[in-house]
Amino acid sequence: MTPAGRAPQRGDVMEHEESPLLRLSKLTKRFGAVEAVIDFDMEVFPHEVVALVGDNAAGKSTVAHMIAGDYRPDGGVMEIDGKPVQFQHTQDAYRAGVATVFQTLALADNLDVTANIFLGREMRGGRLLAEERMEQLARDYLGRLNAKIVSPRTPVAELSAGQRQCVAIARTLVGDPKVIVLDEPTASLSVSQTAEVLNYITGLRELGLAVVLISHSLTDVMAVADRIEVVRHGRNNGSFDTSEVKYEDVLSAITGATRWTRTPRPNRQSHGTVRRG
Amino acid sequence: MASKVGSGSQSALREANAARIVDAVRRFGSLTQVELAETTNLSPATVSTIVKSLLESGAIETRATVRSGRRAQLVTLARQSGILVGVHVGRRNVRMLVSDASFTVLGEQNLPLRPDHLHDTTLDRVALLIVEQVEALGSSLDEVLGIGVGIPAPLDPATGMIAARGLMRGWEDVNLSSVLAARLGRPVVVNNDAKMGLLGEARFGAARGFADVMYVRSSYGTGAGILIGGDLHHGPHGTAGEIGHMLVDPLGPICRCGSRGCLDTVVGATALIDSLRTSHGPLTLGDVLRLASEGDPGCRQVVTDAGALIGTQIANLAVAFDPAVVVVGGELATTEDLLLDPIRAALERRILLQQGAGLPVIVGQLGDDAEAKGALAAASEIAVSMGGIR
Repeated sequence: MTPAGRAPQRGDVMEHEESPLLRLSKLTKRFGAVEAVIDFDMEVFPHEVVALVGDNAAGKSTVAHMIAGDYRPDGGVMEIDGKPVQFQHTQDAYRAGVATVFQTLALADNLDVTANIFLGREMRGGRLLAEERMEQLARDYLGRLNAKIVSPRTPVAELSAGQRQCVAIARTLVGDPKVIVLDEPTASLSVSQTAEVLNYITGLRELGLAVVLISHSLTDVMAVADRIEVVRHGRNNGSFDTSEVKYEDVLSAITGATRWTRTPRPNRQSHGTVRRG
Repeated sequence: MASKVGSGSQSALREANAARIVDAVRRFGSLTQVELAETTNLSPATVSTIVKSLLESGAIETRATVRSGRRAQLVTLARQSGILVGVHVGRRNVRMLVSDASFTVLGEQNLPLRPDHLHDTTLDRVALLIVEQVEALGSSLDEVLGIGVGIPAPLDPATGMIAARGLMRGWEDVNLSSVLAARLGRPVVVNNDAKMGLLGEARFGAARGFADVMYVRSSYGTGAGILIGGDLHHGPHGTAGEIGHMLVDPLGPICRCGSRGCLDTVVGATALIDSLRTSHGPLTLGDVLRLASEGDPGCRQVVTDAGALIGTQIANLAVAFDPAVVVVGGELATTEDLLLDPIRAALERRILLQQGAGLPVIVGQLGDDAEAKGALAAASEIAVSMGGIR
């Protein structure tokens, strides 16, 4: 993505074949006097997991709710696959290819895995045929995630917390999304369950999706994210390539020990510079 | 005939034969009676008698199976004979297998890790994973006979610590097996992952039946496990097989080990990814290998060039110790011939390696389970040496 009107220069990274599936520029959200999110920028490419990290009330979830169509931004631009979008409703986001899993998961305990995956999006047609088709698709989604769930006919009430998270993630695959937003998917899970959820996230990346991961656990984030966007008081405070950054540097960006200015750069390689101070 | 009997009575001989059979079953996981006779060199009649008495004593179990179209009795160790845990702690991933004493895998788990993970966080998570996995089988920790762990660095057998500084930052100055053993209260053995991979392939995979083997693990770094005359070669400092630190570029960059121009500075994951950064942007090792397998020319070239350089080192080492087979594992081996063909080409340039049928270079059969399976084998060995398995 070489910026228009500028010839490629030495030191530029050559254009990557892909463009971002999700781009936020100067996204802003206020609740009265509260500046929840101010001029927030972010891109997520296909085959990429970008983590949003920050303190409590830093604005991570507000960003997620805007991407999900739950909150309407007060300013800024949101683009999905290169097209500007304005969501009035979560259904708009869903139709544009955004699927979100919030912490509550919103599963129906009395229904089985298949019914939960297709909850509210049941297939129509010959009743038996649709049932079979949904079960087959549910099997397929679970397979793509390498899910440790024996049968798509298991009632959700019988599943572990990690498996429930998996059903919620599998549900996002209905309707072929481009962008998946996961809000604290590993909160209050055991290590085995965390392991499973992290594997599902890697699975989503393998499927070529753009994944936005919101989490408090830097250990989990750095295990699966390609890039880490630090949110501090609703603003960008650092963008880091996981393979190159030190754990401590991310921590100091979260706590505000380092200040950061985002310099617009041309492509997915782009990162701002960290200014110590 | 009777002159073959050494010391002791008829019953002592029968006991020794029973031990051989149990040993063989443990070694291979499960065997038919015909296979048992072949591997222990006992007569089918003797095997049949001993299997019958072991079955009565509850040490083993048999079930019906089919071999070459004929009905056969498959012999395994009784399930209640305990649990083994094999763990591979890689640069970016933990792979864990839980098996019974006959190496039948009962459970598995993957845990992605952050780059440059530290021993305290990772070992804590490994310990919890072991507890949770064992509990998931309806068992408890005291049924665990042994735990084997492979890590991507050489271990000094004298100290139980990583053999040289810099190889795995944040993991130095700690006796890893005692940390885990103290935590879990079970016998723990820790060794280098290439050595564990060799054990895995030699016992359960592509190197079965060979006494002289070079196992090359091509991953985030490169390492080798060396089997000489059926024995794993450690060396007094545990650094045998560290081919990632052989000199390939006298003017090259300084390696994390402190030497200049190591193989890993050219074919390690960081080097491979960096060489694609300007053309492809940031990629993970997994991306590079996936794209290479999908036909991306740049990624293919990176893998092929790595194969050629690794092949030269394998060829030199093979000339020195004359293995019967080279088995290649690790993530890069998932590209199969893309990596192996240049290795074979390098070997073809050494005439000494062309004697007889030549030196075959094959992909491991166990894939990304090789290290954890080898760790299971190591766990079984330590259980035997501690008396947990008799």
